[in-house]
Amino acid sequence: MDAFQGLLTGFQVALSLEGIMFVLIGVIVGTLIGMMPGLGPISAIAIMIPITYGMDPAPALVMMAGVYYGAVFGGSTSSILLNAPGISGTVATAFDGYPMAQQGKAGKALAIAAISSFIGGTVSVVLLMLLAPALSSVAISFGPPAYFALMFMGLTAISSLSEGSTIKAMIAAVAGFMVVTIGIDPQTGTQRFTFGNVNLFDGFDFLIIALGLFAVAEVCMLILNRKNRSLSDDQKLGSLKLSKADLKEMSGPVSRQSFVGFLLGVLPGAGATIASFISYIFEKRIAKNPEEFGKGSIKGLAAPESSNNAATSGAFVPLLSLGIPGSGTTAVMLGAFLVLGVQPGPLLMTDRPEIFWGIIASMYLGNVFLLILNLPLIPYLAKILSIPRPLLISLVIMFSLIGVYSISFNVFDLYMLLVFGALGFAMRIFSFPAPPFILAFILGGMMEQAFRQSMTISNGSLSIFVDSPLPLSLLLVALISLLVPAFLKWRSNRLAYKQN
Amino acid sequence: MLASINRKLGLLIFIVAAVYLYLSFQLPNYQYAPIDADVIPKGLGILLLVLSVFLFFSRAVETDAEKAKRDIPKTELGVIAAVFAMIFVYILLFETIGFIITTSLFIFFCSWFLGYRAWKTNILVSLLFPIVMYAIFVFALGIVLPRGILPF
Repeated sequence: MDAFQGLLTGFQVALSLEGIMFVLIGVIVGTLIGMMPGLGPISAIAIMIPITYGMDPAPALVMMAGVYYGAVFGGSTSSILLNAPGISGTVATAFDGYPMAQQGKAGKALAIAAISSFIGGTVSVVLLMLLAPALSSVAISFGPPAYFALMFMGLTAISSLSEGSTIKAMIAAVAGFMVVTIGIDPQTGTQRFTFGNVNLFDGFDFLIIALGLFAVAEVCMLILNRKNRSLSDDQKLGSLKLSKADLKEMSGPVSRQSFVGFLLGVLPGAGATIASFISYIFEKRIAKNPEEFGKGSIKGLAAPESSNNAATSGAFVPLLSLGIPGSGTTAVMLGAFLVLGVQPGPLLMTDRPEIFWGIIASMYLGNVFLLILNLPLIPYLAKILSIPRPLLISLVIMFSLIGVYSISFNVFDLYMLLVFGALGFAMRIFSFPAPPFILAFILGGMMEQAFRQSMTISNGSLSIFVDSPLPLSLLLVALISLLVPAFLKWRSNRLAYKQN
Repeated sequence: MLASINRKLGLLIFIVAAVYLYLSFQLPNYQYAPIDADVIPKGLGILLLVLSVFLFFSRAVETDAEKAKRDIPKTELGVIAAVFAMIFVYILLFETIGFIITTSLFIFFCSWFLGYRAWKTNILVSLLFPIVMYAIFVFALGIVLPRGILPF
């Protein structure tokens, strides 16, 4: 099936009445959850998973994709209006968006953000459409050693690119992998770390980990920040209209950063946060008047906004074509696929074209919906920011508990949600990043399987990973991605230590 | 200050790794499996042990943002502990008393405890949210939530 034919199939899914409805629900829910400071796309996707149980996989996944990029879109609103980014991918948005809002130009800032996001999102969907099938057809020939090496590379990339200490990120990744080993080993039937407890035989469902580590831990942070201001009713948004000069000014950064964002989204480990920062710095470097950045520059707002949305669609490339998530959010997205009985990867395009192309086609539609939602409706949508924090906290707790209960109907899992919530909170306090944990949890089972398959093929010899060029080069990339940032951080730490 | 924090964390993680490794060595072996179920756990245990040592001796300087994250007043930790206790009680009563009643009570008291004093809105949300969620899950999605002492 060529791309054009595939896209037609996809549009049949996306443009059906059901498709349109679920894309719309997805982007609205995503935008609303993404707007709330503290709640990001991971929580948004995890909270929505139970809603999809009774649904067909195609509309369900189209909706979940909508939730994902909708959350990234929505995150910019609270960045601009409250200087409280809804998600880490919109931190850079606040640098110039919030000063604009303070100058009474909040409406204009929101319009720039919406248009930049729309263009970034649309450009990268076109690239996704071109790149994902090509990568899928290459990946079909991957054997277990190459798959293992690829997953290992994804894991090391996200660990080394996480904010803060690389050692802590690696500890988080190893801990995530360890949690996977709890339960009955699917290959030999051995009980591992179950202590005879029947509830642990199947291991932990990923929703417990995702909601605990992200939603419940975020609730703890929300409790700490519950007295922070929310949007007051009298805050003026100002006009949403953009002049020709404004459009001209943003055209450069938007067209450049849409590509930069996409590429960074495709790379494992990077994602919306890093993409938005790199785009911001990039535009500041090449700007004629860099001193305006940070004071309400249109370029400084347009660059990260186009980039973070482009990165979101870019992140779907490895997920759809290789079945390997490159970030914490796409790891949860992969979880959503698996819950619905769909295995993303090279075979998805041939086995389930309606899902593969449906998601891609729905993104065109979703981006249009987001633009419509965010331009005329933004003053109304922004009202959600005035939900009192204590009420929001109680409701998020409830969503998480219902979500976990409705997958297993087991109260034990609810207690485990609490345990992982406490772990997630402790990880935040002590600056251990959570995305490597969830990524290792999602990839761990697959990695172990690929490793054991490889070793069975090679009769127990590790040389299988270095004998052929593909696994070898992937492992080398993994090693470099681990050593270079670690070395750079070690050097800067040493300098700082000496100065102190 | 950070050195001592990293040392404490390193030590704690070392102990966790050691226990995990000990348990990994208790896993049974099968003669004919080329790579048995104990190989990956043993590898992970050793890796965590090594990383904990690295963390112990790490000389990383804590950023202001990281310091601020750790700087939580004891009263606030008490508030979080109280909310966790409320969730615990909720889970305990959830199946016997039922979804609607426990959820209503939880939302009302948790929001009130965290400082929400608009009690009319609070009562309205506390009643409407569980009823709407129950209707969506049970009647629209076919996912059964505990009915408890209520007749429907």
